[in-house]
Amino acid sequence: MKINPNDPKLTAYALGEIQDDNERAAIEELLEHSEEARQEVESIRAAATLLTNKLRSEPITLLSERQQQGIASKSQHQSHPFLHLARSRWGLVGGLAAVACLILAINVSLLGPERVAPDKQIAQLEAPTLLPTSGSGSGTPSVMEEAKPAASLYSANKSLPTQPGETPSASDERAQGPQPMRKEKRELVDAIAEPLAARVHPQDRSKTSPPPPVQGTALSSALRFRESAAHVSPAAGVPGGVIGGIPGGSVGGVPGGVVPGVIGGVHVMSGPPSLPPLSAPVPPDIAPGQRRRGQDFNTESYDQIVDNPFLEVTQNPLSTFSIDVDTASYSNVRRFLNRDMLPPRGAVRIEEMINYFSYDYAAPSGSNTFSVQVEIAQAPWELKHRLVRVGIKGKDVDLAKRPPSNLVFLLDVSGSMRPENKLPLLKKAMRLLVEKLGENDRVAIAVYAGASGLVLPSTSCEKKEQILASLDRLQAGGSTNGGSGIKLAYDTAVSNFIAGGINRVILATDGDFNVGVTNQGDLLHMIEEKAKSGVFLSVLGFGVGNYKDSTVEKIADKGNGNYAYIDTLNEARKVLVREMGATLITIAKDVKIQIEFNPAEVKAYRLIGYENRMLRDQDFNDDTKDAGEIGAGHTFTVLYEVVPGGASVGVPGVDPLKYQKPRAITSASASSEMLTLKLRYKKPSGQSRELMEFAVYDDAKLYSQASVDFRFVAAVASFGMVLRDSPHKGNATLSSALELAIEGKGEDAYGYRAEFIGLLKKAGSIQR
Amino acid sequence: MKRDDKADWIQSALARYQGTLVRYAAHITGDSEKARDVVQDTFIRLCKQKPSQIEGHLAQWLFTVCRNRALDVQRKESRMEPLTETQSNSRASSEPGALRLLEQEEATSRVMQLLEKLPPNQQEVIRLKFQNDMSYREISQVTELSVSNVGFLIHTGLKTIRQKLPAQSDLGSKAIRRIK
Repeated sequence: MKINPNDPKLTAYALGEIQDDNERAAIEELLEHSEEARQEVESIRAAATLLTNKLRSEPITLLSERQQQGIASKSQHQSHPFLHLARSRWGLVGGLAAVACLILAINVSLLGPERVAPDKQIAQLEAPTLLPTSGSGSGTPSVMEEAKPAASLYSANKSLPTQPGETPSASDERAQGPQPMRKEKRELVDAIAEPLAARVHPQDRSKTSPPPPVQGTALSSALRFRESAAHVSPAAGVPGGVIGGIPGGSVGGVPGGVVPGVIGGVHVMSGPPSLPPLSAPVPPDIAPGQRRRGQDFNTESYDQIVDNPFLEVTQNPLSTFSIDVDTASYSNVRRFLNRDMLPPRGAVRIEEMINYFSYDYAAPSGSNTFSVQVEIAQAPWELKHRLVRVGIKGKDVDLAKRPPSNLVFLLDVSGSMRPENKLPLLKKAMRLLVEKLGENDRVAIAVYAGASGLVLPSTSCEKKEQILASLDRLQAGGSTNGGSGIKLAYDTAVSNFIAGGINRVILATDGDFNVGVTNQGDLLHMIEEKAKSGVFLSVLGFGVGNYKDSTVEKIADKGNGNYAYIDTLNEARKVLVREMGATLITIAKDVKIQIEFNPAEVKAYRLIGYENRMLRDQDFNDDTKDAGEIGAGHTFTVLYEVVPGGASVGVPGVDPLKYQKPRAITSASASSEMLTLKLRYKKPSGQSRELMEFAVYDDAKLYSQASVDFRFVAAVASFGMVLRDSPHKGNATLSSALELAIEGKGEDAYGYRAEFIGLLKKAGSIQR
Repeated sequence: MKRDDKADWIQSALARYQGTLVRYAAHITGDSEKARDVVQDTFIRLCKQKPSQIEGHLAQWLFTVCRNRALDVQRKESRMEPLTETQSNSRASSEPGALRLLEQEEATSRVMQLLEKLPPNQQEVIRLKFQNDMSYREISQVTELSVSNVGFLIHTGLKTIRQKLPAQSDLGSKAIRRIK
């Protein structure tokens, strides 16, 4: 596809509006080669940011108190016979209605400002509500009827001259017709409505005091390239903690403390195009994203994910990414399947599905923060490939000896949270957590809806009843001004900050922010700023229908946070009770992984999942780059599918270079190490850098020799690839995944794996 | 749904959307008082709807109904005081004070002046996109334009603004020079 820098597609791309993968790829290719196109995109985004900031700070006028009351009274009498009567009557009278209203308007305005009694005003204000809609004289207007084509826009009457400060006399008014009256009437109504409005919506009272310009300028930082940091911290004197000889693994110790130079600025994401699957493609046995007929219209939003491609080791020796211990995608996929629907592709994040489950990884020894173990065997969906499973476990913290905590619950109580699976479930979930807390813990509760407020100032958990009573009293209602709520919650957390303790905002929401700072870029920017205060963030996602997965995930990502999706009380118990340590206590932050593959052993590799966590190779050593956080006792798992070096399977390569020799291999490549894994992180408080480094050998295990956990992980990955209809799924099908899952079920103390097996079966039945 | 639930639902929709809807409607009617009437009417229509049919696309429904009501009102008004073609053109394109009510401190802002000089249809989609955070698809549903039409209008509008915007600190001056 050819794209000209002047193509509307470039604007659409800059604004994040390209839906088609191929189109986006084509544009990205253009950007790679064309400085002009890159500048164009930058300029579009800058103009968009400017416009967004200006337009969002335009003052807002609310309805008058009387208009609002009028609506409220109608909302309680939706089936009042008078309305039907009124409608049909006006339907008959038809075009006369407009004339009647006009007369009414003139009559009222003739009374003059000082004589307009409040009840007259009601008549005036409500008059237009009786106007018939042209063309829909009978019956309840449906969306389709309402959405009739609109011919012309913007009449010229918006430009009717109204001089500021000039109040026309009564005779002038009559001479000019009803038009200029409106201004006067407006002032009058404002005078009555303003004080009331000010009381009800202190934040929206922008008429007299325009809201402050929103913070930040990014239209959507998600659209932006990672900004290159102004300075790169020197990576000197890294204390290299090396763990060797982990039981059951094939990890060898490597003298640590040295970070080998990063080879060229190889961007993992910009490697050669995806290699075709090495086996004959299997027809998709499922069409993910395909909805069953009759499904409700919904506005859930998911970002598109493009599977990481196979990369040739000679060109992309390094693979760098930020860890992700979120689990929300799995619960969300489960929710879809339990409603007999296949999840949309974008909702399936394979790494989050894998990390939902805990695996039997050895605890770190001694003072180490992490243990790392690696298992390599045949990839069940492509036996010629190796599947590398890297399991990492964070140090556990005895909950009884945990540091004192300062928690701020920030709860969305907007109208959209009313359904049973949102606020009522949320209240029960938070109750579970509060019941686990003790005298060293403090809880504050902030809520946000149209306005945000502190329901409970920071209170010691000695007064648990008080906290629980505040929770019980919460009710849903109002709009969702997430932005100001987040500010309030962070401010509360900062003013009760416990040095060395657990300082955390727990945000519970359906992510549907609609008032205030709703521009995602501004919101994310604000959260990124707030995260620098040392307060961590947990995001609990609730609800269906208008659930904004993409917003919520990015908030957690920017806010040094973790993210779980709560669809049942059982899930709340898993996240807030059983895994409380992992959820609340951060043991390491900005955790990044970099793997260097040995070209002598590996021809090509592919990282499974983590698509939105990829980092540039040079970012690994850049400690200003934000990355994921790990909680106490957290385990997480990384899977690579590797094409072995000696494999005869054809990876279509590129022609030999004319001006360069292939990169020389070092003597270390003869070591028969398959790869070297480096883990870089910071302690939760402070900036000191830590580095761990491991060399890994492939011990040529067959699939039949693989461990139970390995089989289960392979099952989850297979299921994810099938749901996503990944181009790399090879021979994976629902039934092969089911087989693997049954082999890999193991002990399954809490029944999570049994539930997974149930979901696989469910997916099979939906397919048919 | 129980009566109370419905009332709450209306209240929450009202709290959430009234301000943005009045702001939006005022740009069609040219008058915030008429816009308030239009918005009140929109919500009264909402009272007659079944929440289950609207939940999930409430914003689109409200904007669509509000837009059509505002256009109705505006058409009726223009019948009362017809303008010739030339008058209306010149006013729509060269009257920065047209939106007196809403401009306030933006009056000095160059970018807003440029925006107000764009053709009305470009202004509207730009407002829906940047002020009300709608996607191209949502805008297409509200305005009944095709998605690619929406994309073209936004592209063209932004391009005009970018070309006329003086080099500012937040716009790369290099990029600006190149476009010119």
